[in-house]
Amino acid sequence: MNGEPVVSLKGVRKTFRDFWLRPTVNAVDGLDLAVARGEVFGLLGPNGSGKSTTIKMILGLLAPTAGEVSMFGLSPRSLAARARLGYLPELSYLHPFLTARETLMYYAGLCGLPHAESARRTAQLLQMVKLDEVANRPVGGFSKGMARRVALASALIGKPELLVLDEPTSGLDPVSTKEVKTLVRALANGGMTVLMTSHLLADAEDVCDRIMILNRGRSVAEGKVSELGESLEDFFLAKVGNADEFVLADFLA
Amino acid sequence: MNSFWRIFSLEFTAAVRSRTLALLLVASVAWMFAAPFMFTGDGTVEGARMLAVHYSLGGVATLLSISLLATATGSIARERAAKRLQMTMVRPVGYMTIALAKTAALVAIGAIVLAVATAIEAVRSDLSRPCRHVLSPVMPTPREEAETMYTAYMKDPKTPPAVKSAKKSVVIRLLAQRAFDRYETVSAGDEAQWRFRLPEEGGMIKPSVRLRFTNTYDIRQDVVGDLGLTVYGAEWNGCVSNITQAVVEVPLQRSDAALAAESGVLTFANSGESALMLRPRRDVNLLIEADGFGWNLMRAYIELVCMISLLVAFGVFLGVGLGRPVALFTAVVALAVSEMSPSVIDQYPDVLETNAADAIGLAITRTAAELTHPVSALEPLAKLSEDSCVEPREVLGAFISDIVIAPVLFALLSALVMPRKVEG
Repeated sequence: MNGEPVVSLKGVRKTFRDFWLRPTVNAVDGLDLAVARGEVFGLLGPNGSGKSTTIKMILGLLAPTAGEVSMFGLSPRSLAARARLGYLPELSYLHPFLTARETLMYYAGLCGLPHAESARRTAQLLQMVKLDEVANRPVGGFSKGMARRVALASALIGKPELLVLDEPTSGLDPVSTKEVKTLVRALANGGMTVLMTSHLLADAEDVCDRIMILNRGRSVAEGKVSELGESLEDFFLAKVGNADEFVLADFLA
Repeated sequence: MNSFWRIFSLEFTAAVRSRTLALLLVASVAWMFAAPFMFTGDGTVEGARMLAVHYSLGGVATLLSISLLATATGSIARERAAKRLQMTMVRPVGYMTIALAKTAALVAIGAIVLAVATAIEAVRSDLSRPCRHVLSPVMPTPREEAETMYTAYMKDPKTPPAVKSAKKSVVIRLLAQRAFDRYETVSAGDEAQWRFRLPEEGGMIKPSVRLRFTNTYDIRQDVVGDLGLTVYGAEWNGCVSNITQAVVEVPLQRSDAALAAESGVLTFANSGESALMLRPRRDVNLLIEADGFGWNLMRAYIELVCMISLLVAFGVFLGVGLGRPVALFTAVVALAVSEMSPSVIDQYPDVLETNAADAIGLAITRTAAELTHPVSALEPLAKLSEDSCVEPREVLGAFISDIVIAPVLFALLSALVMPRKVEG
């Protein structure tokens, strides 16, 4: 890996505790991870494998119980690190009473862009996500796919160097899914670092340079997609469990 | 600063588009016009003024206190529950800025609604009507007086054993209350003196003296006597005769009489046939004409906005640390304690602190009363309703404590709690 990693996790552990501070679950257990500049890194794993917890620690929304998390060599909670970050959550979490334009202007302001620059970027991104015609409608009335596109545009509004995408294609139709994947590749080609999680292995296979598979809070595999030698689905199932274990007949009996 | 205004504007827009602002405006305007019809006055000018100021504007202030406190508890708690807060927290924005901007937006909403209500009050009031500075006699504070009384009181054989075995701080508090309520008797043919800190020489405009001759049963009594106040080498006099009202206001006239006492000393010679009683700390005031009602209404408005700011900052902080329902419940309880604590303290004096539970309960109530006094008292309106001056230094004090210090302090605490709470 060339140069300092954009995202680095060293021996990271996250233990959730109950009200009486008794440990309840080890969501992440001794995780080491490094994402290099300009690469598209996929974090894969079954439900409850620790993907979201890892993402939240990288975003500074969770503090690790042990180990070290850094973004651009800084603490994820530092303003300097957050200024270089764009985040698309699994659900869109938009303010329903704001229009699409106001939403983007709001996040542009939070990123410290001057008003004229905010307006220019907003118009550009609205056009890119094909929402320029409904830009003045409150996002509360948008379909899930439209809201997703507003959220994606707001993740990109501050010209981030690192884009964290949590299930980026969730809720999108096949055409929009294809467009998002093309966009992610284009952004990476332009030098942006992308860290994404996905349940859709085909998405990860199409977009990611490298992947890490998490299971029960631990990394069970890491490597370049191009060097897997088999389909990502087979590789994934080999690492985290076999679909044959789920016997439909038993369930129906 | 850009982030601050963005979050401020988001919160403000939310209040406008959710019709919270419109609802508050309609309710406040309706109350301002309805209140005078809902309460019956006593037929006096003072009574009408009391209705106009204390109940109309006071009702709006109370409405805003409750509704904005409730809104404030939800402003962050609701955002956090809907996961929108984390979308702001991953941007380069200080956590303190988030809390401060949300507080400022809600205070702005309160300020707008209150401004409309105040404007209605201004339109129907005589703005040029003068208000008065209310000066009290210069005396040792009740606590200072209590401390000088303490040793003698504890040695006095009449002092109850329960009091003698009580903690010094409790006895001092008891004595301080007694000092505050201490009656002074002015026997027939006798003279009483009280010292005042006078304003600059040119500031003595239309002085008058207000005396409240009351006892614990509020029995009215005839008062006959002469008042004299020495002001920078000149004597001002007033005469009280055959007045049977509990509160006596006597305008002072400048006379050419020879100097009888040093400057700032007010004398009252009781020339009636019976002894008179009053509590100097409460019942003797020198009133000096100040600026008009309009200016005082404006200062009262600023002080009420300060009060709203304190409440909103507290509510936002509660919402940062607690879930919405718990924050709301805590805020309502805090407001109720604030309203009820003065009467609870009055009804349960220290001598009843015989067990630990009472003592702890009273200590909590007393602290709550002290901390929330500006909220429960609605002092500026109480002053306005009796044409007293809302002093600029009080407004400045309220501004510094409630608009500058309290929100910053609560925002600082919020910034510490916010990431932990998001973590769940």
